Amino acid sequence: MRVPIRMISVATTVFWIFLIVFAVTAVYSVRDVSFNMGEPQSTLTQDNMMILSLPFTVANRGFYNIGLLSVTTQISDEEGDLIADNSTTLPVVRVGEQATLVHNVTINATDFLWRNQNYLFDDAMFRVNMSLGMRIAEVIPVQVSTNVSMPWGAPFYNFSLGQPESAPFDLTHVLVAVPLSFENHAFFDVACVLRIQMYNAYGSLVGDTQTSVSASQHSSYNGFVEFNVPQDEMTNTGRFEVLFLTPPFDSGQLEVHYG
Amino acid sequence: MAEKNDNLNSKLRKYTFKAVKATLKGILFYVLYIVLWMMFLAPVAGVLPGLQRMIETFVMIYVILIIVSELTSGTIFQYFFDAVKCLFMIGYLIMALGGGTMSITMENVNLAVDLHVFLGIIMLLSLLGLAKAVLQAINFMSEKAEPPQPLPL
Repeated sequence: MRVPIRMISVATTVFWIFLIVFAVTAVYSVRDVSFNMGEPQSTLTQDNMMILSLPFTVANRGFYNIGLLSVTTQISDEEGDLIADNSTTLPVVRVGEQATLVHNVTINATDFLWRNQNYLFDDAMFRVNMSLGMRIAEVIPVQVSTNVSMPWGAPFYNFSLGQPESAPFDLTHVLVAVPLSFENHAFFDVACVLRIQMYNAYGSLVGDTQTSVSASQHSSYNGFVEFNVPQDEMTNTGRFEVLFLTPPFDSGQLEVHYG
Repeated sequence: MAEKNDNLNSKLRKYTFKAVKATLKGILFYVLYIVLWMMFLAPVAGVLPGLQRMIETFVMIYVILIIVSELTSGTIFQYFFDAVKCLFMIGYLIMALGGGTMSITMENVNLAVDLHVFLGIIMLLSLLGLAKAVLQAINFMSEKAEPPQPLPL
């Protein structure tokens, strides 16, 4: 009986020493792993995809490899509805290696603005749930997660059509000039064709025009739209109907009263 | 009378030796803990606030069990306390590690560590230790019942 007991003792001791050394060095190893998050980039592509890029740099100066390094992002609106999510994984970061991971989250701008056209005109605050996961020494899974807020800047913030000012055009028509302004709070430049229809107080369509507007990111637009309106149909009150014709803003429809 | 005194002296020597051995083992274990703490775990303790209290409680109880086990050496109770040590390790680690998943929240950041594999290995090793204690107890009882016979030449 003594021999098996001795064998169990030896085996147990060896495994305990191995486990303690492994655990301690694994914990110690994490201290020598550095993470650096680069500047987030936002772009709008030609095919109307908003891409949010987040570059990560991981320098592993520890004793063990890091396995399954993954970054997961979930962006949801103020009501908690999911807007976009994505996960980027790096299979392994070897000892002494420096790896760069670019985590992209893509939002289809057309779908996004169709779902809620208020995002065209109102700023909002999105919730971003971000998590960084990895396997220390390729064995122990660790996850760090956080919630941050991400501001959404409306591309047509404070969109307004001012009071129409009319001037005689010919004997039967007047030229109506309407001031148009908005602020582009978005991270991308705006270039859009607008169709504006003018209705008088009786609900009759008296003018219909198209105009192009453009504003670079974080700038204001101030301009005029002009209508050629029959003199006898011009009233002091009425409304404008604005249609946004260029994707991804083509979900936009707005009614602005005047007078 | 002289024989009685010799017997008393021998018992006293035996218990003193046991006490010294138990103390040395306890001190050795504590020194090992201090060294490991200073070298590796102290920097991590800043990040994990409850870590030091958790480990200190464990070390304190474990040292007491080591001392008691050593003081009762040569009796069946030694193996009983060895088994208790193994069961305590399993139970305490399951409790302290929240069943294998540790989670800490600091301000807005949540850190979760999945220690299921680690805990599984510790449990297996502790069970091996428990099996050893049971085998030692059986061996002790059998040797007590039937002293080992010298091998025939």
